[in-house]
Amino acid sequence: MIQLTNVSKIYPNGARALVDVNLKIGKGDFVFLVGPSGAGKSTLIRLLYREESPTRGQVQINSKNLVRMKEREVPYLRRNIGVIFQDFKLLPNKTVFENVAFALEVIGVVKREVRTRTRATLELVGLASKETSYPHELSGGEQQRVCVARAIINNPALLVADEPTGNLDPDTAWDIMDLLYNINKRGTTIVMATHAKSIVNKMQKRVIAIENGKVARDEEKGGYGYDT
Amino acid sequence: MTLNSSRYILRETVNSMKRNPWLSIASVITVMVSLVILGFSIFFLANASNMAESFESELEIATFVKDNATSSQVDALRNQILEMPGVASVTLVTKEEALQDFGKTLGGTQSNLLADLGGRNPFPDKLTVKATDPKNVVALAEVVAALPEVDKVRYGQGFVDQLLKFTQWLRWIGFGVVAAFSVAAIVLISINVKMNVFSRRREIQIMKLVGASNGFIRWPFLIEGLALGLVGGAMAAGIVGMGYNSIAMYVLSKMTFLPVVQNDVLFRQVTFGLLFSGMAMGALGSGISLQKFLRA
Repeated sequence: MIQLTNVSKIYPNGARALVDVNLKIGKGDFVFLVGPSGAGKSTLIRLLYREESPTRGQVQINSKNLVRMKEREVPYLRRNIGVIFQDFKLLPNKTVFENVAFALEVIGVVKREVRTRTRATLELVGLASKETSYPHELSGGEQQRVCVARAIINNPALLVADEPTGNLDPDTAWDIMDLLYNINKRGTTIVMATHAKSIVNKMQKRVIAIENGKVARDEEKGGYGYDT
Repeated sequence: MTLNSSRYILRETVNSMKRNPWLSIASVITVMVSLVILGFSIFFLANASNMAESFESELEIATFVKDNATSSQVDALRNQILEMPGVASVTLVTKEEALQDFGKTLGGTQSNLLADLGGRNPFPDKLTVKATDPKNVVALAEVVAALPEVDKVRYGQGFVDQLLKFTQWLRWIGFGVVAAFSVAAIVLISINVKMNVFSRRREIQIMKLVGASNGFIRWPFLIEGLALGLVGGAMAAGIVGMGYNSIAMYVLSKMTFLPVVQNDVLFRQVTFGLLFSGMAMGALGSGISLQKFLRA
């Protein structure tokens, strides 16, 4: 599903975020990206939804080449990729319902369908009772659920998450992980960058460690592998 | 574009304008001022060139024949001029007729007048030459003046040139002022749109993230620019239309001899032209500020 071939990313200031990375991630996989801060995890995540393009090498998702992709094709790529952030990125002046519905509205889905799909997705993430609340009225965990709901409402084949539990307490973090686990069970590929050692160790999923922009370790059913 | 998207875009446009009401008002006013000046300049120039034309069409060359020329020589001269290219007509006013006319203005009789003048008619024979094209007047006058029987010629020397120079000058100044205000209007609209883009950057970021097309993201801003320009253009069209009509009425009632342009076609063209220019300014303004921000 995802293939990175000899990917390097050098920023204009000279920072080498990724150096000659080769990766293959299969459909339906659940992959943790671990490694020290600044090792290149976030850069790798951003390459996947084409927020950035590599300096060298190729990125392919579902056999679509993201490097050669035209600018006007990018929106259609993104409709098939959900993105979750550490800081949720919700719109403060919109309700929970509106925040999630927004993802459908702006791609031109008709109103009735927006309503039914938004309700169903909020049900799935356990926020059906909060749909008229505003983000500031919610706990961190609830806000992250809204973000997850917005990311999955289009039934994307791929869900990427950049430290989704970074701002949450351990119990709430596990709630989110349960949610992601269930989404993965339904066939969605998940790539998650994280520093949460206990989560990585307990989930026993594939772990890819990035250090100094290179793949330092890649193991099935791996552990976090760093002492924090 | 679905009905649903259009509704979203329209809603965002209105919200966007509400967000910076003063900037919106300032943009509309600058568009309006620039177009009011443009509109009045067009009408003023139309009148100036109309006036120049009507003066030009009355231009004729008064050709004074030498005193010692015989009447057959005068006739021959008249035919000679009539055959020149570019001559429309030649009218002869003999020295007797000229004296008579002069006498009439004094209210006396010719015999008395001639006697009073010492028995000598001071008026020369005059040939009034009209050119087919006013532009040829100067060249024609020079040719006629060079004929041996001709004493001197007189025409509206300089006047036409000055009028044309004046309108030309006016055209440049009008053009400069309109250009300056147009640039100001476009810059203001682009600042307006840019500020709205900035205040909605979070929303735009998410829109891009969930796969809204660039066109979809751009529309509200583009429509906002167009709407600001259109409102300014409409106000300008109203002001220029009503303003010109009342000025024209006033001039016609006070100075009936002035040729005031009252042309419905021109009127419509200027009105629609102002509306269209307003929209073009708006589109240009928002286009400038939208050019970059979607590239990231």
